[in-house]
Amino acid sequence: MDEEEIEKVVLAYLKKKGLKQTELALQEEQQAKNNADPDAAKQVVSFSEPDNIPEQYEDGYCKLRSWTYSSLDLYKHELLRILYPVFVHCFMDLVAKGHLQEARAFFNKFREDHEMMHLRDLQKLEGVLSPSHLEEMEFAHSLRQSKVNIKICQYSYDLMMQYLHKTQSITMLGIINEHINFQVSPGQPISLSDDTEVVTLVGSGQDTANLINQKEIHWGLLEDSVEERLEKTLLSDPEKAEGETKEGESEENKKRSMEGGKQGTSSKKLKKDKVVGAAAKAARTEGSVSAAPRVKSELSLPVIPTEVEYSILDDLRNRVQLSNVALPSVSFYTFLNSHNGLNCSSISHDGSLVAGGFSDSSLKVWDMALLGQQTESSILPEENEAARSVPGTNSGKRSYSLYRGHSGPIYSAAFSPFGDFLLSSSSDSTIRLWSTKLNANLVCYKGHNYPVWDVQFSPAGHYFASSSHDRTARIWSMDRIQPLRIMAGHLSDVDCVQWHANCNYIATGSSDKTVRLWDVQSGECVRIFIGHRSMILSLAMSPDGRYMASGDEDGTIMMWDLSSGRCVTPLVGHTSCVWTLDYSCEGSLLASGSADCTVKLWDVTSSTRVPKAEEIKTGSTTNRLRSLKTLPTKSTPVYAVKFSRRNLLFAAGPISAKGLATY
Amino acid sequence: MSSSNVNNSTSNILVVGKESIQVIAQKIGNNNLSPDIFPSLAADVEYRLREIMQEAIKCMHHSKRTILTSEDVDFALHLRNLEPIYGFGSGDTYKFKKAAAHKDLFYIDDKQVDFKNVMKAPISKTPQDTSVVSNWLAVEGVQPATPETTLFEALASPSDNKKADYKDDEIPADVKYPVKHVLSRELQLYFEKITELTVGRSDSILFKEALLSLATDSGLHPLVPYFTYFIGDEVMRNSKSFHLLFALMRLVRSLLQNPHLHIEPYLHQLMPSIMTCLIGKTLSHKLSDNHWELRNYAALLVSSICRRYGHAYHTLQPRVTKTLLHNFLDPSKTMAQQYGAICALASIGPSVVGFIVLPNLEPYLQLIEPEMQVEKQKNETKRYEAWRVYGALLHAVGQCVYKKLKLIPSPLSPPTCTPWKVNAKIMTTMANKRKASTDNMMQQPPLKRVTTEGSMGINTANSFPVNIQRATGGYSTSLGGSDVGLSSMPRHLPTENVLGINGKKDDRAKKLPSSSTQALKEVMDAGQFLPLLTENFGESMLPFIPTPLSNIFL
Repeated sequence: MDEEEIEKVVLAYLKKKGLKQTELALQEEQQAKNNADPDAAKQVVSFSEPDNIPEQYEDGYCKLRSWTYSSLDLYKHELLRILYPVFVHCFMDLVAKGHLQEARAFFNKFREDHEMMHLRDLQKLEGVLSPSHLEEMEFAHSLRQSKVNIKICQYSYDLMMQYLHKTQSITMLGIINEHINFQVSPGQPISLSDDTEVVTLVGSGQDTANLINQKEIHWGLLEDSVEERLEKTLLSDPEKAEGETKEGESEENKKRSMEGGKQGTSSKKLKKDKVVGAAAKAARTEGSVSAAPRVKSELSLPVIPTEVEYSILDDLRNRVQLSNVALPSVSFYTFLNSHNGLNCSSISHDGSLVAGGFSDSSLKVWDMALLGQQTESSILPEENEAARSVPGTNSGKRSYSLYRGHSGPIYSAAFSPFGDFLLSSSSDSTIRLWSTKLNANLVCYKGHNYPVWDVQFSPAGHYFASSSHDRTARIWSMDRIQPLRIMAGHLSDVDCVQWHANCNYIATGSSDKTVRLWDVQSGECVRIFIGHRSMILSLAMSPDGRYMASGDEDGTIMMWDLSSGRCVTPLVGHTSCVWTLDYSCEGSLLASGSADCTVKLWDVTSSTRVPKAEEIKTGSTTNRLRSLKTLPTKSTPVYAVKFSRRNLLFAAGPISAKGLATY
Repeated sequence: MSSSNVNNSTSNILVVGKESIQVIAQKIGNNNLSPDIFPSLAADVEYRLREIMQEAIKCMHHSKRTILTSEDVDFALHLRNLEPIYGFGSGDTYKFKKAAAHKDLFYIDDKQVDFKNVMKAPISKTPQDTSVVSNWLAVEGVQPATPETTLFEALASPSDNKKADYKDDEIPADVKYPVKHVLSRELQLYFEKITELTVGRSDSILFKEALLSLATDSGLHPLVPYFTYFIGDEVMRNSKSFHLLFALMRLVRSLLQNPHLHIEPYLHQLMPSIMTCLIGKTLSHKLSDNHWELRNYAALLVSSICRRYGHAYHTLQPRVTKTLLHNFLDPSKTMAQQYGAICALASIGPSVVGFIVLPNLEPYLQLIEPEMQVEKQKNETKRYEAWRVYGALLHAVGQCVYKKLKLIPSPLSPPTCTPWKVNAKIMTTMANKRKASTDNMMQQPPLKRVTTEGSMGINTANSFPVNIQRATGGYSTSLGGSDVGLSSMPRHLPTENVLGINGKKDDRAKKLPSSSTQALKEVMDAGQFLPLLTENFGESMLPFIPTPLSNIFL
């Protein structure tokens, strides 16, 4: 049997490579050898007729499909996973061999089977119409170059092999051998819920991703941050001293691998429980205490001016404690008369400034305080309610400051942490730095070659990151007009970028459906997060530095554990693009804004309390993150959400006349 | 390619046929292409198109839109260093028209614009500048009921607590339809349909059906306040359109008939409307409209209401009668109004007639007598009205008498008569009435009066047989039926009554053969005021005297 299999593989290989002579020679040899075997003869006959290749593919796939669907329930879902790569490669093989009509017919015939899971891939693939397209199209090319990893249990594997040999589906066998890399595991089939990893066919392959994800990352918060100093002042009373020593103990765990991370979590858990048990004030610092292993900044960070520091300390003291029972107040900034031209919106940390980037290259900044709006000066809703009046009373003058300088639609705007600078990125491939004090352009950063989709200030200011259509993300500092680092590796546009809380990492989301984490100092990719089924539109980092949330075009939000590179849980609820995400200041809530005109609040703590080790062991990723609240707006898609330091949530979006009817 | 949904643009299998390539090739003047290259060109064109669309969708997403625009496509072309397609950038949505005879061919319907018109057209307004307003989407996780946020809650929450949140805008928008929050859609429709029928098509069969439904259906109770309001409102506004008023009264009747409705709380609102239809000064524009009928109808309604709810509302009947009496006795009121009052009094019951009408009968008749005579009242309509009133009066009094007489057990025909309850009280009051024609003597103890009046009755009974005799001659068939009396009255009365008034009654009374038996004693009691009546009405009173009695005297 083994010998026969080898022969088959050889035959298939020769056939594929078009080595007709060798093939024939081998066939003759074989014929001579197995003259008595009628099956083998048939086999050879089938090879010698190149005309019926399309039928072979279609027939083979069709048979495999019906066999799979009628297989044992227990193993069915594992076997079904094989169908998709086989389908895709059958199609591409047909195209590559020039059977375009047949390829299309084949594609359309079985397309429905995979539409639910792989709609976006199929949409891309259906455009492939000639062998040259296969080479040209990155997605198809990478698919053909690499193998797909499929985890499968021993019995399923045996079943399949048995079937393929019995039916002499040489074509199918060839495809499976060529493009699928089975990771056969002994024992029971893998549970259904775990197949998020299988659904995405990634060009670079799971192996490289796994390899990259082995690298260690230090997601602890920065030493000597303002928060920490505040913490220390609070810890001055003896009761809290204990907490600090605990913290010291866990410093040993600073350098650790993935396994080390698990240990750390368990010890952290203990400590966390203690602190929670302590006085109410301690709860405020819980977030940072739990992420105890502090790291040194790899960048030289700017010094925070003392008066700014005081205001931050003040904000921290006045912070409203949020949890799944204490939801935030949400102040919504609605853009009126934007004439469908608003591309992005940004809100400063205290909510006093709102920026809007427009498709007519203009950047407009509204000072909400000047408009008779009490925003941040008091969080009391009553007072704010009273101040809620229609602005624009200074009708003679514009109610905003207009920043002109770009020569293309503005795709992103970002305020510096203290609100004195504003960055904007545009389709003219430049990034501009504006001063909100002077209302003037300070610097124009040129470096990208294509539209800059996103720009973000680092949490400490001074440094910023940008992402572009040129498939790179870049790190800049305000004082240099050249980028400091270029992060290359994404297979498609880098659509969004976000800084890690400790400024040592940035995360980027791309149209290749992956999120990557990059080390700022070395410029290396340290994590690849695979699981999204469509383009990534938004990213957010938890304030404790442990988790990351990403939102995609379909409305799915995924929460990732940075240290393991695994998805904690997908958050399903939005029905359209998730434009924006933000964590509350102590990390207990996640806010998301979407094109479906809602702001959703998600409970993050309920999932993270479960020890990570246990979760990995059981392998169950049941949906423990729950949607706490859906806040519908009046037909206003939400472009930006932002928690202020005092945990007041700001959201912004343009009111659309058509509203929900547009979808 | 202007604005098409993303999903549509990508999920439809877009096939660029080789024919399309051929057409395009011809269009750009390249006719000598070999047909072999068309299919491969077509495939490539399709691939490029998809590529452009993919880039365009990226641009769309980064502009945070979910609708693809022509700008996005232009921008995608720009990214590929291609020239944009000019002429589609206006931002308007294009209307694509299907080309006749080709099922998949579309073109943009581009109108020819006259240059002059463009020049003449006023300059369009500058678009409003962008502004930002802020509002609370949630306060501590709870959405406040502000106009900006209550997109979904608005419909569910009652208008009251919403009003409080309105600060400075949109206040009047909400108060307009309070119905919306209380009534179901079905009931609203029902109400609308009924009111529409009442106002517009009250003579249709459908309206009858509607009335039937109103009178029988359960579950209409939520509508009662709306109907009451509707009726009141319509009566007030259209107090002279006869047909509408009649339709409204029929509506009232149906409402009253419906056993499922709890209409008492709304009676005080309904009564004025009914009273208007009863004693309104003019109820129609045209003479041809039979407003008498309407008044009769309303009178019946009043009486039925008094009968049904009189016990629950003790002030109801007194108030009604007071109003009626006022109308009846006020000489300044028109004949029609007086007619209505009399009708209603009559229908309320004989006792009321006894109380109110009989004492005032004589002076009243004197008042209208000249109006009825051809010589004195030349105006035909006035005279007709007077006769009408006279008829009503006659009917009222006659019915009253009939009721009284019916109470008397007839000795000769016991089987036909159900056992009569002799109501002593009524009899006394009746008796008293005769005597105290001008003043009230109600304080006397009833029992005593019965006995005293009894003897008096014998004397007065003399006139009785005479009436009967005449009755046999004049009206052999019409006996006591109130309806018949009413309908026949206008036609018969004039001649008969002229005679009656000519003072023949005295000798008639004398001719009487007094063959009174013991049994007749009570008849006499009841009939004691008959002289008064015959004095005033003469023979026309006869139909109201029950047959058994007339038989006796024959």
